[in-house]
Amino acid sequence: MKNIFIPLFIYLMILSSCDTKDPVVPNEEELITTLIYTLTPASGVDPIVLTFKDLDGDGGQTPVISGGTLLANTAYKGILQLSNDQASPVINISEEIKTESDVHQFFFNTSVGLNLAVSYYDVDAAGKPLGLATKIQTGNSSSGKLTVTLRHDPNKSASGVAQGNITNAGGETDIEVSFDLVIK
Amino acid sequence: MRIVYLIILACFGAPMVYSQSCTITVQGIVLDESTGIPLDLAILFIQETNQGLGTDQDGHFKITALCAGGYHLKVSHVGCEAQVIYLEVAKDTSITIFMHHHTELLNEIVVHGSIVETTTQNVQSVSKEDIVRSANKNLAELLEKISGVASLKNGSGVAKPIIHGLYGNRITILNSGLIQAGQQWGNDHAPEIDPFIADHITVVKGVSSLMYGGNGLGSAILIGQNAIEEDPHLHGQFNYIFQSNGRGHTINVKTQQYHTKLAWKLTGTYKNSGDTNTPDYFLTNTGKREYNFGLQLDKKVSPFFFSKMFMSSFNTELGILRGSHISNVTDLTTAFRRQEPFFTQGDFSGFLQSPRQEVHHQLVKWENRWSPSIHTVWNFNAGSQWNRRNEYDVRRSGRSSIPALSLDQWSHFAEAVIHHDFGNSKLMRGGIQYSFVNNVNDPETGVLPLIPNYSAVKPSGFLILSWDQSDHALELGGRVESQHLQAKVISTTLPRTILNKKHAFVNLSSGIGWKYKFHRNFNLNMNVGYIRRSPEVNELYSFGLHQGVASLEEGNPNLRQERSIKAIISSDFRLHDRLLIQGLAYYQRIQDYIYLEPLQTFRLTIRGAFPVYVYTQADARLMGMDWLASYSWSNHLKWIGKYAMVVSKNLIDNLGLVYTPPAAIQQSLQYTFSDFKHWKQSGIIFNSKTVFRQKNIIEQQDFLLPPPGYTLFGLELNTTLSLGKNPVKCALQIENIMDRPYRDYLNRLRYFADEVGRNVAIKVNYSF
Repeated sequence: MKNIFIPLFIYLMILSSCDTKDPVVPNEEELITTLIYTLTPASGVDPIVLTFKDLDGDGGQTPVISGGTLLANTAYKGILQLSNDQASPVINISEEIKTESDVHQFFFNTSVGLNLAVSYYDVDAAGKPLGLATKIQTGNSSSGKLTVTLRHDPNKSASGVAQGNITNAGGETDIEVSFDLVIK
Repeated sequence: MRIVYLIILACFGAPMVYSQSCTITVQGIVLDESTGIPLDLAILFIQETNQGLGTDQDGHFKITALCAGGYHLKVSHVGCEAQVIYLEVAKDTSITIFMHHHTELLNEIVVHGSIVETTTQNVQSVSKEDIVRSANKNLAELLEKISGVASLKNGSGVAKPIIHGLYGNRITILNSGLIQAGQQWGNDHAPEIDPFIADHITVVKGVSSLMYGGNGLGSAILIGQNAIEEDPHLHGQFNYIFQSNGRGHTINVKTQQYHTKLAWKLTGTYKNSGDTNTPDYFLTNTGKREYNFGLQLDKKVSPFFFSKMFMSSFNTELGILRGSHISNVTDLTTAFRRQEPFFTQGDFSGFLQSPRQEVHHQLVKWENRWSPSIHTVWNFNAGSQWNRRNEYDVRRSGRSSIPALSLDQWSHFAEAVIHHDFGNSKLMRGGIQYSFVNNVNDPETGVLPLIPNYSAVKPSGFLILSWDQSDHALELGGRVESQHLQAKVISTTLPRTILNKKHAFVNLSSGIGWKYKFHRNFNLNMNVGYIRRSPEVNELYSFGLHQGVASLEEGNPNLRQERSIKAIISSDFRLHDRLLIQGLAYYQRIQDYIYLEPLQTFRLTIRGAFPVYVYTQADARLMGMDWLASYSWSNHLKWIGKYAMVVSKNLIDNLGLVYTPPAAIQQSLQYTFSDFKHWKQSGIIFNSKTVFRQKNIIEQQDFLLPPPGYTLFGLELNTTLSLGKNPVKCALQIENIMDRPYRDYLNRLRYFADEVGRNVAIKVNYSF
C-alpha cells in the first residue's frame, strides 16, 4: 500500500503549492472611449464641438457628454473622430473604421422637433455611404437630441439604409450616443 | 435491462475428466436484481454455436452438449438492452444471472464499477443502449428523457441540464467520479462531456449531495464507466448516426479487451454538423464539430487490490447563431420584430464564423480499491482536469480571430473513502476529500475579463450510515466542507489596479432518508436534507456584458451562503407486471437564494444605455412533481407517459424564478414485433411531447414574455439484423415530424429565432 500513498502525497503537495497569480491587465485596444463630432460652419469660424468621453469603459465613472448650440438655417460640415484615449499612445479608431468602411456605417437620428438634416459626405470602398464626414443643414430655431449610431456589419443594401434610415440596417451597435442640441 | 454482474455461485458435481466429448452442461437462473423475481422469456444466445434458448417460467435455463472452451453468451429480453458475458467452460457449471431494470424504474441501486451501493435517494438512469441510440444529442438533451429533467439551451448546440428547477452551479455533475470542473456558471456553457464515454448516466434527484460535494443544492448527474468485462477477446462496437437537420454525421468506435495483466477500453467519437434549420429558414452559423476520446485501463493487482486509470479528452468548436450577436437594447428590440434573424443565409453552410466557442476539456483519474477484508473497502482516488474555453465575438480590425473570453482552469482532486460493513445490514461510508481549482484569464483578449482570476481550496469530509433491512432501509449522514476563495479583481476605474479579495465559507450539509417496501409491488421513499451553498466567483465578482442579452451583469462581493432545505417523497407501484406508476413530489426552500435582479436605472455607455442586473439574495421556494406511468397490454404493445411540473417563487417579491421549466408531458406508444427470420427486436415507437406556457414570468422580468406552449410528434423504427454472430442494429428516427415552428422558453435564443424543424436521423450500430 505504501507505493500508492507516496505518489498521492507528492501529488497533493504539488497542487497545494499553487497560488492565484496576479492577472495581467488586458490592453483594451478595441475600446472606444471618446467621440468628438466637430461641426464647422461654411464661414469656417467658431466650430461647434460635441463630445462624449468615457475613459474607463462600461463600468466606473459615468461618461461626460457635452452638446452645443447651432445657428439657424446654416450649413455645417461634420467630422467624426473616434479614439481610445485609455491606451497609450492613443489609438485612432476612426482610422480602423475607415480601413473597414465596407462593414461600418454611421446613422444620424434627430428627435421630433429638432430642425436639422444630416447627409453623408463620404463613401466606403464600394461607393456606399459611411458617415465619418457629413453635411448638416439646420432649419429654424428649435431644440432636441441628435443621436449618432455606428453599426458594425450592417446590411448596406437593405432598403433605405443608403439614405441613412437605420430601420433595416441590422448589425451590431458599436456606438449609440445622444447630444442635446439647440438651434437659434 | 442489463446484466450488472455475473456470479458463479457454485460449481457442483465431481469435476469431470477434461475431455473433448462435448457433454458439458451449463445451467442457471435469471433473476431481477432489485426484486429477486425469476425472469421468464429472457433469451440466451451462444454466439459460437449459434444456439439460442429461452428461460422457463421459473427463470431457469439449461445449455447442454457444450465442448470445453470459451463462449460468448448473450442475454436479452424483449425491448431491453442485451449484454454479452464470456464464460470459460471446463466442467458442468451453474450460474446466476442478475438483470437490472434500467430505463424506467427509480432504481434502488447505483453501480460504481462493481461496488453496489444501496441508497434511499431517488435515482434514475439512462441505459447504455439509450446513450448509444441518442448520442448525436448532447448530454442535457439526452437526460430530458427522465421526467423532472429539462435543459437550458443557447440555440440548438449548447444545452445544460435543469433538475427540479435548478441548473448551473446548483447541480453537481460527476464525470467519472470527479466533479466536472469547467465554467459551469455560464448559461451558454454546456457540460464538456461526450455521452459515448459513459456506460451509465444517472440522475440523482437528491436533497443533499453528501458524498460528492461540489457546491450543488442536492441533485446530481453521475457519468460513469463500468469495470471492463472479463472477456479475453477483442470486442467493440461501431456507431454511425446521420441527421438531416444540420446534415450532421456522428461516428463512434469503442473497443475493449480484458487481460489479466491489463484490461483496456478505448472510445473515440467524431461529430460534424452544419447549419440547422427551422421549418422556414436556416439558422446561420449553428454548425458544430466535436472530437473526443476516452481510455480506460483496469488492473487487478491482487484479489484485494484493483486499480483503474481513466482519461478523457473532449474538444468542440461550435457556432452561435449569427443573428443573435447584438449589442444594445435597440438591437434586441429590432431583433424581436424580425420574421427571420438578421444575417440569415439562403443556403446551407458548414462553415463556422464568429460568434463561436472553442472548448477543450481533459480529464485524468486514477482509482484504487483495496479490500483488506470482505467487510471493508478503501478507495484512494485522485484526478485532474484542465478546461480551456475560448469565445470569439464579431470584432473590429481582424480581432474576430482573437477570443473575447479566454479562460484556463486547472482543477485537482484527491480522496480517501472507506466503506465498512458492520454486519446486520449496517453499513458505513466515510471519507476525506480535497480539491483545488485555479482559474486564469488570458490577457490577450483585449477585453476586461467577465470573471476574475481566482483559486479555490476545498477540504471536506463526510460520513454516511445506513441500515438496510429487507423491507426497509434508513440512511443518514453529514458533510462538512470548508471553502477558501481568493480572487484577483481588476478595478473598474482608472488607473486599473488589482484588488486581492479573500472569502472563506464553511458549508454543512446533512440528510436523512427512509425507504419502506410495503409490498413487492409498492414502496415508499422519503428524504429530507439541509445544505449550504457558498456563492461562486461569478456571483461575487462578474462584471461585464451579460452573455449576449443586451444587459450588464455585476457581481456582489457581500453575498452570503444559500441555505436549502429540501424534502422528497416518492413511491413506486406495480400491478401484475403490466402497470407501473412512479410518483415523486418535492418541496425546496432556499434562504438567501442568489439571483440577478434588474436595477431600476440604466447605465450609459458609448453603445447606449444598458439595463443593469446585480446579483442579490432573497428567500425562494420550489415545489414540483415528477410522474411516470407505463402500461403493457402484451409483450408487444406498451405505453409510457411522463409528466413533470415545478412552481418556483421568490418569497420577497412573489415573482417566479427565471428559467423555471414549464410543465411538460411526454408520451410514447411502442409496438415490438415478433422476431422474423434475421430481423430481431424490431419495433415502432410513436412519441409526443407537450410543453405548456410558462405563466409565472411577468413582463418586468424579461425582455419578452415566455412563448406559448407546443406539442411535437416523433416516430422511431428499430430493428436488429442478425446475419452472422455480430448483430447490426438499425434505427430511423424522425423528430418534429409535422415540421412545426415553435419557440421554447428555456432557449436563450428564443428572442431571435425559432427552434429547429423536422429532423430525420439514421442510426447504425455494429457490435463485434
